[in-house]
Amino acid sequence: MEQLLDLYGFASVVLHAAELVARTVLLGSVVFWVLLAVPLARLMPPGDADRLHAIARRTVLASGIASLAATFLLGLLSFVALEATLDIGARALLGADFILLTGLDLLAMLVLLALALPRGRPAPNRRWGLLGLAALVLLAVTFGSHAIARTEGRAMLLASTALHQAGAAFWLGGLPCLLAALRLTPPSARIIGQRYSLLAAIGVGLILLGSAGFWFGFIGSAGAVYGTAYGSMAASKLIMLVLLLVLGAMNYRLLHRIAPTPGGTLRLRRFIEAEMSIGIAVLAVAASLTSVPPAADLPDDRVTWQEITERFTPEWPRLTSPDHADLAIPALQAQLDAEWQQRQAAQRPQAFTPGEGLLPPRNATDIAWSEYNHHWAGIMVLLVGLAALLDATGRVPLARHWPLVFLGLAAFLLIRSDPEAWPLGDIGLLDSLRDPEVVQHKIASLLVVGFAVSEWSVRLGLLRGRVRFVFPLAMLAGGVLLLAHTHAISNIKEAQLIELSHLPLALLAVVAGCARWTELRGPPELARIGRWLWPACLIGIGLLLLLYREA
Amino acid sequence: MSLCFETARRSLALAAVLLGLALLRPVPAAAHAVVVSSEPVAGAALATPPARVTIRFNSRLDHERSRLLLIGPDGAQTPLAIAGDSDPVVLAAPLSAPPGPGAWRLRWQVLAVDGHITRGDIPFSIQAP
Repeated sequence: MEQLLDLYGFASVVLHAAELVARTVLLGSVVFWVLLAVPLARLMPPGDADRLHAIARRTVLASGIASLAATFLLGLLSFVALEATLDIGARALLGADFILLTGLDLLAMLVLLALALPRGRPAPNRRWGLLGLAALVLLAVTFGSHAIARTEGRAMLLASTALHQAGAAFWLGGLPCLLAALRLTPPSARIIGQRYSLLAAIGVGLILLGSAGFWFGFIGSAGAVYGTAYGSMAASKLIMLVLLLVLGAMNYRLLHRIAPTPGGTLRLRRFIEAEMSIGIAVLAVAASLTSVPPAADLPDDRVTWQEITERFTPEWPRLTSPDHADLAIPALQAQLDAEWQQRQAAQRPQAFTPGEGLLPPRNATDIAWSEYNHHWAGIMVLLVGLAALLDATGRVPLARHWPLVFLGLAAFLLIRSDPEAWPLGDIGLLDSLRDPEVVQHKIASLLVVGFAVSEWSVRLGLLRGRVRFVFPLAMLAGGVLLLAHTHAISNIKEAQLIELSHLPLALLAVVAGCARWTELRGPPELARIGRWLWPACLIGIGLLLLLYREA
Repeated sequence: MSLCFETARRSLALAAVLLGLALLRPVPAAAHAVVVSSEPVAGAALATPPARVTIRFNSRLDHERSRLLLIGPDGAQTPLAIAGDSDPVVLAAPLSAPPGPGAWRLRWQVLAVDGHITRGDIPFSIQAP
């Protein structure tokens, strides 16, 4: 049970992200089905109309099942965590508001799935039923959100939450259906695209309206944007929203000029895939936001602009390693940890999710060690980016071996990440693997080896097919997970400053993943842009790592 | 081709699992309900024992499903009866027996009405007369 509690904070964010993605697609595909597929069916050939109906129905069913599972697991996780920590019995827990709302949400989704199950086209009553149940899901989610726990401006924040989530559903939630529908005949794809543009525009409007409410209720000032975890994550969301709007604007143009050829929608499909990837990243940030207190509630200990400029003023990278003997020895460190925890607890009350620990104390040599690691990793990523750029010119055959630089990075991580353990420290390899963090570092090194070897094999032509997508998908997954887990913390300044350096890394990783995906999938005119864009992102990541500082 | 697909599928599954594992490191995370103020305040050295403890949060709470424990200098834990009629953002409890001299800890766990669980400690001490 203790292990479950240890995982509670992390698991709840990941499940919440999965729930958000699934529910957004569920609501969006219901809207797509009822407000787009049904009315447009009579304007297209019967074959296309049948296929469009099937696409919408299948997406509703698939996303409904996924949403049902994620919502149930999230509710179960909280229920089990409460049962493990309170002595009031399972029966008393069932009366909690969030359990009742989760139950209502699940029930609405079950009935919605039942309504979506028949293969026939939905009659008016069934359509109203689908829309009504989607609205009920939205209502249940809204009344179980952050907004309901507020003491001030609750009505405004509840309305903002509902508008924001409805907007995401109208716009992002309809993308999977749209992507599949673009494979219909070009005339049908064109009218679908034009109608979808209208839904997406409504969605953008609703999102912006909701965001305005969040600004007044949860953030409130520019200082809160960079000074708190909530604010900086909301800013990351805004940056991605701008990216999405740019992609959406390009889509809007293309949707109205779909060429009457089978390949006419290829460019559009690439843009929509990128939109979906960034959309998932946005929802991952939204899930992460649910685990931090609103910026408006943390008026003290915010990071100041001066501290940010001081921290991010470039300095020459640390390329000389501190002596391993200078690092904190475990026994002393354990004592320091205990003292530090006592001191922290005594200074002010902090709030934690179950199972969560405190930031470990560090000394100057530890910081130097970490900065040295980041800086050399930055040099290697920079080399990868530069070599990939050279490779993109097609004039330097040797440059195609750039994935091998990642092998160097893997070896570096393997040796340097845990100084107290093998091969640098006194703790043997097998003994060190009892520590989960050491295991994670070793696995991460092996993961980098896996990427490097698979991508190198692709470059040499030894592997073909879908293995090509391992590299871009890994970049995307890395970026999304970095965004999903970056929650700092009851406003501890140091953690917020570190987080500020990691958010741009995550954003660049998401863009790089999309660009590499586009390079691989075409069409040629977009692939050419992608070929230059993702190495540029890697160079950006390398430079950010080179500038990384912890003090 | 199928071999390539299988390799890709396995690699992706591995990547997803490993990236997930990489996030399991014990990074502290804040949560919704944070303490706004408390009586006694954290770290207080009191000359006389309090008759009542009060913690004010930033979120509305489910009092029935929240918990307050008083942990004594010897580590003994005493559950406190939370007052049900208090402010929605306040967790308050009377102390039936005044705590004696030594280092005490008020351990709280709250369920916010949005379903988030948060916990924490408020240490204080009672000085010997």
